[in-house]
Amino acid sequence: MRLPFLIVLICFLSFSCKNNKGESQSTIKDTVKADTSSKIKAEKSISSFSPVDISPMDISYYPADYPKLKMEKTTSLPLARVIYSRPHLQGRQLFHDVLKYGEPWRLGANEATEFELYTDAIIQNKKIKAGRYILYSIPEQDKWTIVLNSNIDSWGLHPDATKDVARFIVTVGQTNNSIEYFTMIFQQTAAGANLLMAWDNVEVKLPISF
Amino acid sequence: MKKVIGLIAVFQFFFICLLAQTSSLPPIDKSPMDMSYYPANYPVLKINDKITEELAARVVYSRPQKAGRVIFGGLIKYGGVWRMGANEATEIEFFKNVRLGGKKINKGRYTLYAIVNETSWTIIINKDTDVWGSFKYDVKKDVVRKDVVIQKTDTVLESLAMAFEKTTTGFNLTIGWDNVRASVPFTF
Repeated sequence: MRLPFLIVLICFLSFSCKNNKGESQSTIKDTVKADTSSKIKAEKSISSFSPVDISPMDISYYPADYPKLKMEKTTSLPLARVIYSRPHLQGRQLFHDVLKYGEPWRLGANEATEFELYTDAIIQNKKIKAGRYILYSIPEQDKWTIVLNSNIDSWGLHPDATKDVARFIVTVGQTNNSIEYFTMIFQQTAAGANLLMAWDNVEVKLPISF
Repeated sequence: MKKVIGLIAVFQFFFICLLAQTSSLPPIDKSPMDMSYYPANYPVLKINDKITEELAARVVYSRPQKAGRVIFGGLIKYGGVWRMGANEATEIEFFKNVRLGGKKINKGRYTLYAIVNETSWTIIINKDTDVWGSFKYDVKKDVVRKDVVIQKTDTVLESLAMAFEKTTTGFNLTIGWDNVRASVPFTF
């Protein structure tokens, strides 16, 4: 009596799992399709203006949503922000279709990713002065090196290591689900904030104390 | 009874699978952000050692799309303050002192707005930065206002666009959307 039920249950579970996998695959496909039809698409240039980029730019503040918070009440200055471009997977695997272990990556696309501190901060016991910086990374399988560099207003390719300000090693975590667009956000911690960087199924966190 | 428990287990499994797929990370915005520099393409020039003129300005703005709508006089009402973009207020940063309409603007970061009319726009440089939209726009924080005559074009720009162009006395910030173009003349 129990055995047939168990078999039925296992069948049900494996079926639902398969079904779920199929669903998530079609979600990715749909996302890609949506990207090329109605969402972000690379425009053809019809004038001297730049078309909309396929890896759109975005901005994240700490405190999160600072500009909206400022609308609601008078707050002190923001503490940090990042301006970065958001490439997307489009069916590719992050490693090794897009990135390679051991090779510098600009943490975005196009212009170098800009990291701004509105106040002095401490990152992994190093004092970092308020100001504008660029960020790039050297990803490895289990750890990433995050590099703070002073060559601001530059394009993200070929970072100039002679202008490195500090290097931080952070461990790689796994995300629950695949993230289509590269994402950077600040998350509050007891000491300050983590700058979370997530793409595909990996995430790293740079801990910042204010 | 056992079948019922089995079904519940299956539904629970489904539910957990679905939960794992939801995420709190921000989606891609339908009005994506972009930036333009003066000199144009400064970041590319910089990494190729091809800079011939020092960095003067940068604008960071979001790019809403026309999407079949009447933009000027429709979506954007004549006479109101427009954030010249979407989401966060458009940010303009000067890396050296510049002038607009004869008035000096110290190097630094500002927000950029416009009061849109049928034949001209009033361009506003304001010092309240890191704000959302023009909802709390404060005229007391204005630095400079400058009226510019707009041009109407045959070509329709789907996405709001901004670009800097060199002039004999400095540079223009040209703003285009739909069939309207406005040029803001900055001088050194």
